[in-house]
Amino acid sequence: MAEKEMEILDDRGLDVGEDVIGDRPRRYQRRRPRQVVPEYVDWKDVEYLRGFVPERGKIMPRRISGISAKDQRRIAKAIKRARSMAMLPFVAD
Amino acid sequence: MANRTYEVMYIVNPDTPAETIGKLNEAVGKLIEKEGGTVVRMDDIGIRRLAYPIQKKEDGYYVLFEIDGSGQEIAELERRMRVNDMILRYITVRVDEDRKAATKRREKREARAAKRTKFRQAPAEAPAEA
Repeated sequence: MAEKEMEILDDRGLDVGEDVIGDRPRRYQRRRPRQVVPEYVDWKDVEYLRGFVPERGKIMPRRISGISAKDQRRIAKAIKRARSMAMLPFVAD
Repeated sequence: MANRTYEVMYIVNPDTPAETIGKLNEAVGKLIEKEGGTVVRMDDIGIRRLAYPIQKKEDGYYVLFEIDGSGQEIAELERRMRVNDMILRYITVRVDEDRKAATKRREKREARAAKRTKFRQAPAEAPAEA
């Protein structure tokens, strides 16, 4: 177990992450490596937010978008605000 | 308690005549001033397609206000918007704290970038990663 932890720590710089599902971490490959998110995420900037909303209208998971947990929370909040003002769909089909 | 900045956006029924919308916006501005706030910015975005229908309407007339104030004027404004039939939807977002956090983040990033270039210029110890 200790060995495995070391391995994960070493991977930090790469585009690999882990999710804990059940009792063991599942490793995954990020689709977009390490994105930089602007300092201020504007909930009115629909064009930017669309980049995190695939066709179905769902919010893209962090494991795909490759942004940090903190940035993901900011983006998610902005998307939800835009949704409530009908600037983004809740569901699209 | 004093200064807060808010963004207030509302969607007006697109079937209302333009002059009525103009009057409504004016009334909002006046209400804010009366309650002790200041209108920083007023943006008449206009008719925009809604992402989903609201009250059977496919379009909406968007208006955005940026307001400085204590919060009292927001309470009053929201109370009025709630009972106004012309307004399909509204949202108030407090932005001053997020903006402060954003400038802090920017400073941090710039400081880090500056440090990095300084480090790189120093001889012998070139950083391994870009």
